[in-house]
Formats: sequence, structure tokens, C-alpha cells
Amino acid sequence: MVAWFMDIPLFWAKILGTIFFVSVIIWALMRPKEYIFRGAPDRKRWRDLRIWAAVILVVQIILYIKY
Amino acid sequence: MIGGLDLFIVIFFIVGVFIVGLYFKRFVHTSEDFFLAGRKLAWWVIGMSIIGTNIGSYDYVGGAGAAYDVGIAQANYEWLGAIPAMVLSALLFVPYYWRAGAYTVPEYLGMRYNQPVRIVEALLWGSFLICCIAIFFWASGVMLETYVGWPIWLGILVTAVVVGIYTVTGGLTAVAMTDVIQLAVMLVGGLAVSIIGFHEVGGWSGLVEKISPEHPDHFKLFLPLSHESYPWLGMIFGLGLVLSPAWWCCHQAIIQRTLGARSEWDAKAGMLSATFLKTLVPILYVLPGLFVLALCAEPLADMDQALPWAIKNLLPVGLAGLVFAAFLAAIFSSVDSTLNSAVTIWTRDIYQNLFVRNASDQHYLRFGRMLTLVFVIIGAFLAEPLTTSFKGIYQAMQNLLTIFQGPTLATVLLGIMWARATQWGGLFGLLGGVACSAILHSTGMNFLYVAWWSFVVALLVNVLISLFTKPEPVEKLRGLVYGLVMKDEQVQENLASRVEGGD
Repeated sequence: MVAWFMDIPLFWAKILGTIFFVSVIIWALMRPKEYIFRGAPDRKRWRDLRIWAAVILVVQIILYIKY
Repeated sequence: MIGGLDLFIVIFFIVGVFIVGLYFKRFVHTSEDFFLAGRKLAWWVIGMSIIGTNIGSYDYVGGAGAAYDVGIAQANYEWLGAIPAMVLSALLFVPYYWRAGAYTVPEYLGMRYNQPVRIVEALLWGSFLICCIAIFFWASGVMLETYVGWPIWLGILVTAVVVGIYTVTGGLTAVAMTDVIQLAVMLVGGLAVSIIGFHEVGGWSGLVEKISPEHPDHFKLFLPLSHESYPWLGMIFGLGLVLSPAWWCCHQAIIQRTLGARSEWDAKAGMLSATFLKTLVPILYVLPGLFVLALCAEPLADMDQALPWAIKNLLPVGLAGLVFAAFLAAIFSSVDSTLNSAVTIWTRDIYQNLFVRNASDQHYLRFGRMLTLVFVIIGAFLAEPLTTSFKGIYQAMQNLLTIFQGPTLATVLLGIMWARATQWGGLFGLLGGVACSAILHSTGMNFLYVAWWSFVVALLVNVLISLFTKPEPVEKLRGLVYGLVMKDEQVQENLASRVEGGD
């Protein structure tokens, strides 16, 4: 049982890692607009924190898929 | 040992930080100015200050050594083990702390659960932070002895005087603004090493060609489950799901900057902007570790010698001083933030909460300043005995942190996400999780798995006890729990007016 467990290929690490990052992106994108912009002086597109989160997490996915 | 131009750069840095720190004394008139920078911090200051606080001297020396040993898997601590948690912190935890108007994470827990939870958390974090101050002082003394030739006591004294004075006078504003300068120095120093390193090894492809034949796993972010220190499953579940969120969502020194934000958006954006900087952090120490592996003909006896080797053999006069200034910047920014956070917890959660409740604001400001001075002196005097009496004190501190990080995260997470969590569920979940950590640690289990299981136990105990105890009244939970905030129109209106007021 333990030997089988230890032999799980690294490929699955990438799958799990990617699922983890994608889940956080989806969760971030689902935050209500009102909640994201609360306290912002205006609603310009660059202030949309969901986009910030998505961009930085996509960079992570690329890094983890490549390496 | 550095001298000439390098020494001049180091002294210029120390004096410059001291003067800049002192400048912000003029902005401190109330205890809120001192502990939370008057709630006027902009998002970019918060982001830079968070990363400046997060990077310590050990990240440089130990991190470069670990990268020399295991390769880019060391970057997991900056990427998988930070970025998702920072997003979670920015978009879930930080807004609730900020709206609650809390000065500390234990204070939030006191509002959400009860006084015992607040006090247990405050004592755990408060004690831990004081020990950290002593360790940082020692690290600074050792570094100044190694590279400048000063006796350790003189290095500690210089650090204590420089950081102590501007933290006592300028509070969080001085801490955050000097962190900005310190991070800039760290990034410039790191970039200089990277440019020279890549030039020496022939770019990224040259680096891979030189290392990969003998160390094929050095360019893999995930390492096999059989790996002693970096098993991939432990990295995802222990580091990614527990330790990292606990650090980024519950660590007072990290969270305190966001509580000083001028608006809720700045608080969230500050934490998120830090993720962009965090992505660059491996440049500071992972790359130098790999450069040394590629360029050093003989294997190093001690992997922690990787960075000193790089400084000695790669850097020209002037740049060595700059990189050394970056080391000092890492220590200074950690010392000042830890100092300010320790004082905030001991003042707000212990002194003001338990002993002197209704004194004037100026009283708490004076007390905070005096306590900062006391902690500087305690840290300086504890530095040597604490670090020389216990072997591997840094590792011991990390283990101590692991013991209460998982249970803290479970307690805060349920507190924010589940209105049914009761005060007794919170208290016994926290204590049960800490007990579980201590037991698992004694069995020698890898700390990543200890973190995971202590989190799970704290979560389960909290849920079970909450289901068998009386629910908390809605009035107590208003503004503190996710569901109630999002569904309650009156709370939404109140929050909106509070947020507008905060701008």
C-alpha cells in the first residue's frame, strides 16, 4: 500500500497543482463586483482585483506546467 | 570581509534608513497613528512592506543553500506556498479584519468567539514574536561580524539603536515606509547578482546545461513523495493548503499593514500587489544557489556557504556592498515589523484588554512606545543566550510556529465562513489542534503533515463542539461572518458608510 502510494507519478503532482490554482482563480472570479470594488475611488478596469488575481495565478500555472 | 567602497555603501544604507525612519515621527499623534499608521497606508506601500517584512536574512542564506541542494523546488515556498494563500487572504480574510476595525488578529477572534480565544492567540503570537526579535538581532550581529568585522555585540547594538529608534518614534508608518526602501535595495541587489550570474553561466540555457546532467531534479518544482524534505503531496496539502494560508491570513506582522490601509480596497489591493512581487522573490536567492552549483568546481561542505561563495567570487567591488546592504535590509525590515506587531498585540490584547481598559489614547501611545523600547532591550539581551543555548533555534522556532499555525487557520476560517461556529467550538478547536500538533511533532512526523493534521483536528473539534453548544446571537456576529454580511442589507448599508468614512 505504502509502496504503491510512493510510486504515484509526478505527473499527478502537476495535475493536482493545476487544479488547485484553477480552483482559486474560479473562486476569485466569482467574488461579487460590489465586494471587489468596495472602498475603491472609482470602478476603472485596472482596479478590478479579480483580474489581478487571475493574472498572477495564470503565471503560476504556466510556471508549474513548464517545470 | 568587505571594505572601502562596499563598507561605505553599507554605512550609507544604515544611516539613510535611520534618517528616513525618523522623518515619519511627525505623523504620529495618536495610538492609531502608532499602531496602524493612522489608517492612511496606500496599497503599493502595503504590498512592498508585506514583502519586505516577509523576506528575512535566513531566506537569503538558508534559501540559497537549499536551492543549491534541491534546486528550484525551493521556490515552492514563494509560489505554490504563498500566491494562492495571498489571494485568499486579500479577497476573504483581510476585508473582515479591516471592517471589524481590529488592530490585531487575536482582537478579531475575541470579537468573533470570546476572550479566552483572544488571550490564547495573543499569548502564542506575542511570545513567538518576541523570540523572533531576539533571533533577528543575533542574525544581524553574526552577519555584521562576518562581513564587516564588527564584534557581534556591536552589530546587535547598531541594529537595536537604528531600528529601535525609528520604530519607537515613527510606529507603523516609519516601519512601512522604510520597508519600501529596504525592499527596493533587496530587489536591486538580487537583480545585480542575477545579471552577473547569468553572464557567467551563459544564460538560462547555460545554467540548465551545466546543472542538469548531474542533478536532473534541480529544475523540477515538484519532487517525488520519497523526498525527505519536499514531498510533493506535503507541499500541496501541508504547505499550500495549511501552512501558507495560516502565514498569509493570520500572521500579525503580515496582516497589520493591511489593517492600516486607507480603504478596504487598498487593504485588498495591497495584499494582491504583494503577490506580483512575491513571484520575483526566487530571483533573490534561488538563482544565486543555482549559479554557485554551476560555477563552483568543488562541492560545498556546508550548503549555507552558497551565498557567501557567490558574493566572494562573483561580485565586483561596490556590488558586494549593495548585496550586503540587501541582507541588512532583509533583517531590518523583519525586525521593525516584528517589533511593531509584538507591541501591538501586547498593548491591545493583553495590557488594554486585561489590565488598563479605559485610559486615554495618549496613555496607550506612550505605553506602546515604552514597550517597543523594552522589547528592543529584551531582544538584544536574549539574542545570544536564546540562540546559543538551543541548537538549531531557527528550526525550533519554525516548529513552534507549525504547532499553532494550523489550528489558528482553522479557527479563523470557521469564524469567518460559518456563523454556527460557537465560542466554545473556537476555544476547544484551537486547544485541540495545538495539542494534536504537539503530539504529532513528538513522533517525528514531517512538519508539513503535522500542519495538515492539526488543521483538520482543529476544524473537526470546532465543528463538533459548535453543533452541541448554543449558537451565537446574530447581533454578536454582524459584520464578522461572511454569510451574514453578504445577506444582511442593514449590515451592507452600515459597511458601506464605514467604508466611505474610511476613504
